[in-house]
Amino acid sequence: MEEKIRILISKVGLDGHDVGAKLVARALRDGGMEVVYAGLRRTPEEVVDIAIQEDVDAIGISILSGAHMTFFPLILKLLAEKNASDIMLFGGGVIPVSHIKELKHLGVRELFTAGTTTSQIVEFVKKEMGKRRRGKGCCNGPAIRDL
Amino acid sequence: MFDPQLLEKLRIEKAEWEQILKKDIERFGERRQEFSSSSGIPAKNLYTPLDLEDERIDYLRDIGLPGKYPFTRGIYPNMYRREPFTFRIYTGFGTPRETNCRVKLLLKLGVNDLQLAADLPTQVGYDSDHIMSRGEVGKVGVAIDSLRDMEMIFDGLPLNSFKRVSTLFNSLGPIALCLFMALGEKQGLAIRDYVVDLQNDVLKEYVCRGTYIFPMEAGVRLCTDVVRFCAENALQWYPMTICSNHLNAAGAGSTAATAFAMANGMVYMRDILKKGMPIDRFASLLCMFLDEREDFFITIANLRATRRLWARILKEQFGAKEPNSMALKITSYSHGGETLRELLNNSVRIAYAALGYVLGGVQFLYNASFDEAVSLASEEAVKVAVRTQQILAHELGITNTVDPLGGSYYIETLTNQIERRMRQIIEKVESLGGALEAIRKGYYQSVIAEGASLRQKRFEEKDMVSVGVNVYRTEEEDPEPLFRMNQQSEEEQIRNLQALRRERSSREVQSALAAVKRVAKSEDNLVPAIFSAVKAYATVGEISDVLREVFGEYKEAVSYL
Repeated sequence: MEEKIRILISKVGLDGHDVGAKLVARALRDGGMEVVYAGLRRTPEEVVDIAIQEDVDAIGISILSGAHMTFFPLILKLLAEKNASDIMLFGGGVIPVSHIKELKHLGVRELFTAGTTTSQIVEFVKKEMGKRRRGKGCCNGPAIRDL
Repeated sequence: MFDPQLLEKLRIEKAEWEQILKKDIERFGERRQEFSSSSGIPAKNLYTPLDLEDERIDYLRDIGLPGKYPFTRGIYPNMYRREPFTFRIYTGFGTPRETNCRVKLLLKLGVNDLQLAADLPTQVGYDSDHIMSRGEVGKVGVAIDSLRDMEMIFDGLPLNSFKRVSTLFNSLGPIALCLFMALGEKQGLAIRDYVVDLQNDVLKEYVCRGTYIFPMEAGVRLCTDVVRFCAENALQWYPMTICSNHLNAAGAGSTAATAFAMANGMVYMRDILKKGMPIDRFASLLCMFLDEREDFFITIANLRATRRLWARILKEQFGAKEPNSMALKITSYSHGGETLRELLNNSVRIAYAALGYVLGGVQFLYNASFDEAVSLASEEAVKVAVRTQQILAHELGITNTVDPLGGSYYIETLTNQIERRMRQIIEKVESLGGALEAIRKGYYQSVIAEGASLRQKRFEEKDMVSVGVNVYRTEEEDPEPLFRMNQQSEEEQIRNLQALRRERSSREVQSALAAVKRVAKSEDNLVPAIFSAVKAYATVGEISDVLREVFGEYKEAVSYL
């Protein structure tokens, strides 16, 4: 049996608007994935540490405060420093098109803005994971976990 | 309310009409299965005097006259004929210097009610050079590290240039109050010369907005210290605005959101009563912030129902005697359905939302700007927002008579239905032990999570329509912001903060902070001690750190379910 896709969903920085992050977390779980939800006020360093400890396939970050140009590049840098660049980074928030282009160029796989459906996000994650699934041992954790 | 004979005739005619309606529906169908919004109240095809009869509406008891209990038709006898609602704008970004320029522009445009947006580090009590402030300085609002920043923001702008000046600071209400008082003093103004208004409502931060710092009891104490201080020293100020807006936006729907907000308000009021201040001494200082984003008529009915229920609760449950204590002043924010696509359409959405609040009898009206779906407001967009308020106030005859929709069969029925639902939800919260317990037990959170999922589902199934997004969509790229943030703001702010730390008397700061710590450990009101610290140019982060030492920090139970 194939192991479930594991995704870390987190807010970063001080932004407390977590409706979107929680909706996406629930949609991914309903889409058959294992979701680790890290909640509010996480630093990029914490996010990367959790991602590695929890052995996730991807990190989804929600930022609505305008701090995206600080945090996404920093998370990419930290992942590279810890030899964990195989973990896919995606995100969402209030992010202008020109910033999306720049961040995707740096290595953020996709950024979703207002008006996106949760099924679009679930489809995107499944498709990406299909492309890049690493061979892993089998050790299924609980299906739902909150940090 | 109606002649029984008329009602009898109407009942017969309506039965005949229903047969015609039935045939119409059989032949042509209806656009939707159910005509309802996230408030959960479905609209019927038609409302008549029979609905008012079914609701047992008594004109004098339930609708009454404006300026009189239960204030359904408004809190003033002459409402907007005396003066219109305030023209309020929420603004602030980057450094105090940048915000000062924007505020001057707003004043020129005729904005008379200024709400300062502080950045997230300020709201959660970190100085701009704190590690947690990285990337967030000056982003969602202006960076305020100390009184010096307030002096810059209002440079050349005496606080009495506006009818009211305000800010949020939900976890740090006393600091906000003291920043304004200290600035007023510097500008040579007495407290009676200007009006400060604070959101200062921390409870909803623990369930949705997220700028909590301290455990809930300490959070409540800081909020009520501000109210008590103003009741004794600044009676014409507005020290607390109890919010439904954020709870609704997060997913609760406007009816549950307003009920939760009222239950939160009851926590604050009980805390103040417990400390020995009688209800009529402070209740008139409280305002509410109401919001409905999906249904125009529910917007109107929500304001009317909330005024009536608040008045009844104050009288029946809190024993208020003064009419002023029961007359609820309302703030509303015209926004909610804005889209990232086709930004200009948002002006239309904002204008209709504003119209709804005005027809509901709002006192303080904010308008969002059409480009806020993509960035902070540009000058061009904020100008349209202000002009929209002014057009509503002066051009269309909307403000010529009091409560023009009062007596509408639909509006009055809705007003009753909403009041009843709010009462039920408040009773549920009370049965759980009040708002603090309901939040601890996750009740608010579960209502919000369920509502948010349902709203998303309705959007995805096009039951909730967003024009240009899920219907009538054209192929075009999302727009670029008209407003561009200065990327150097963070560095500039940190330089200024570090200069301040060198220039001020650190002995004075240390002794003022020690006093804050002493008072925090006692039951006394924290405002005077924080006032001294603010005047000594202690920073928001330094004062917050002292309070963190005494109170500890709130830890959220992390869950997305």
